[in-house]
Amino acid sequence: MVVATLLVVACALTLGVGARGVGPAELWRILTAFDPSDPAHLTVASIRLPRLVAGLVAGAALGMAGTVMQALTRNPLADPGLLGVSAGAAFSVVLGSLLLGRADTGIVTALVFPGAAIAAGMVFALGGGLRGDVGAVRLTLAGAAMNALLISLVAALVLLRSESLEVYRFWVTGSLAQAGQRPLLAMGLVVAATAFLGLVLAPVIETLSLGAAMARGLGTRLMRAQAGALFLVTVLTGAAVAVAGPIAFLGLMVPPLARRITGHNLRAELVVAAAIGATILLFADTIGRLLLAPAEVRVGVMTALMGGPVFIWIARGLKGGWRA
Amino acid sequence: MRTPRLDAIRPTRRAILAAMGGALAGTATAAFAPRAFAAGEIRIEHAFGEAVLPGPATRVVSLGYTTHDTLLALDVVPLATRQWFGDEPFGVWPWAREKLGDAQPPVISGEVAIETVASLQPDLIVGIGSGISEAEYAILSQIAPTVMHARGAPVYGTPWDEVTRVLARATGKDAMAEELIAQTEAQFEAARERHPDWAGQTAVAAYHFAGETGAFTSNDGRGRFLAELGFRPSETIDTLGADTFYAALSPEDLSPLDVDLLVWISSFDAAPDLVALPMRRTLAAHTQGREVFAGEVTAAALSFGSILSLPYALTQLEGDIAAALDGDPATPVASAVEAGIAP
Repeated sequence: MVVATLLVVACALTLGVGARGVGPAELWRILTAFDPSDPAHLTVASIRLPRLVAGLVAGAALGMAGTVMQALTRNPLADPGLLGVSAGAAFSVVLGSLLLGRADTGIVTALVFPGAAIAAGMVFALGGGLRGDVGAVRLTLAGAAMNALLISLVAALVLLRSESLEVYRFWVTGSLAQAGQRPLLAMGLVVAATAFLGLVLAPVIETLSLGAAMARGLGTRLMRAQAGALFLVTVLTGAAVAVAGPIAFLGLMVPPLARRITGHNLRAELVVAAAIGATILLFADTIGRLLLAPAEVRVGVMTALMGGPVFIWIARGLKGGWRA
Repeated sequence: MRTPRLDAIRPTRRAILAAMGGALAGTATAAFAPRAFAAGEIRIEHAFGEAVLPGPATRVVSLGYTTHDTLLALDVVPLATRQWFGDEPFGVWPWAREKLGDAQPPVISGEVAIETVASLQPDLIVGIGSGISEAEYAILSQIAPTVMHARGAPVYGTPWDEVTRVLARATGKDAMAEELIAQTEAQFEAARERHPDWAGQTAVAAYHFAGETGAFTSNDGRGRFLAELGFRPSETIDTLGADTFYAALSPEDLSPLDVDLLVWISSFDAAPDLVALPMRRTLAAHTQGREVFAGEVTAAALSFGSILSLPYALTQLEGDIAAALDGDPATPVASAVEAGIAP
């Protein structure tokens, strides 16, 4: 209930706050009598509405991806950004834009999925997934290494050609400012379909969080469940990256909050995580727009600023020896 | 790191370096004071010390991102050039290509490769506008006398005429430099005389880069170019960008760009991004056809801001600026039409 209220408030702020304040009455007029020559109307319709949609899609996707990832790895510090999946998506886009030219064509954007999939698959394999024994520690180390490698590769590509720096700026820190030029509808549908699949698979994935032996004991086919979870993480993260670029720490912050509300029930957790993810991302974006106005702080920077303390808070709360 | 980077638009490596180093402030002050010493000796004071040349230099390595233009203008072919942006052979753009002739200087990209510099056995190293550190300077100046920007001046903000004068002194071409500077100034003066109506109108050089829109202040070379043509800078932009050389704007409010002449600087030919910029369509400068588009080469010429590139940019832009400011919104501005951003 609180979450739903906050989400509505975040949506309203996204539409109403900015360089030009827009009140509720004005918003109503924009809905009922849109005037394309009025700067206020154009601001809301062409800039803030796409931002809102992008924030909802990317925030929900990352909230759910983080939740699945933390269940899969049994690691409360897991995050699609920290485990190299976002970096894989960004890397393939930067590479694709170098090979094919401009970055914002549909083909190049679609590269986020193979990029995220390859990174997720490699992290999974390096973490011991092929031997049917993905340990939380091993997986996290593999993810950190992969993330570092991919980020270096992105930097190396960019050093080859200064033109790609323009591309790089978006793909290294996420932003909702270019939402109008991103494939919002397609990615929204992808996220919705994947979220549905996630709800179906939730009970199976949940057994993974009990540990391999327990999961096996409960009759879970480990590889299949892990592959399913990995698929969810990949597609959700890929869609988020396609819409907003890589956004760090959101997938880390959301699951603990969702767990506090729902307890240990992955299905409910996913629903709440989607709402919390969207809420945090929209708040972060709105704050980023106000902080240094008229210039904007990229939302990826804002989530990193907010995520750092949360990371420390979670890490301090971990039991000694790390449950694994 | 809010706005690291680079293009010529802003997007340029030097901009990023400048932004990161927080190095830019104020305008350039001439501190290259000549001093007489031993016969034939040339001494040039600069931010990191003093360069002492036994005589006019002939073997010159150019490490500034744009200084090879100035050397070429003085008929000194550099032993090596520095890569800024673009795919131009030897880092030399069309406006300077003729001066390069058949020479094929190696291009130093990224960090300065000190071994490469040493292997070329230069008798002068030009570090003006190169962004090299004092530590790098300390090594380079042992290889050959090295000239940096003036003391107290911004690293990347040395005006074109000052660069020309300093490099002319180092290469013993003072008379030639004065003649070239006079020629370039005369070209701008002639343009002002051809278009007396430009005087006092407001003009802004704007960029749209990686999702961010903004404009260059009158401290920047691109802003200075417009001032040379008689235009008045926008006070709003200069206030917003007082601490640096550009002002970032909110995508929701581009009204500071609504001036008499709006020049879009797009070194990467990113016209589709401009077309997609919603609030641009609410600007009177747009609806009344007062936008000019400086695509890759013209934008680069403005960003280089050298004694060779500025006359080139003037030639490219003069007709379009005149068409934009003729008072008739229906007159097509060729570059804007070609880029697809015309109303």
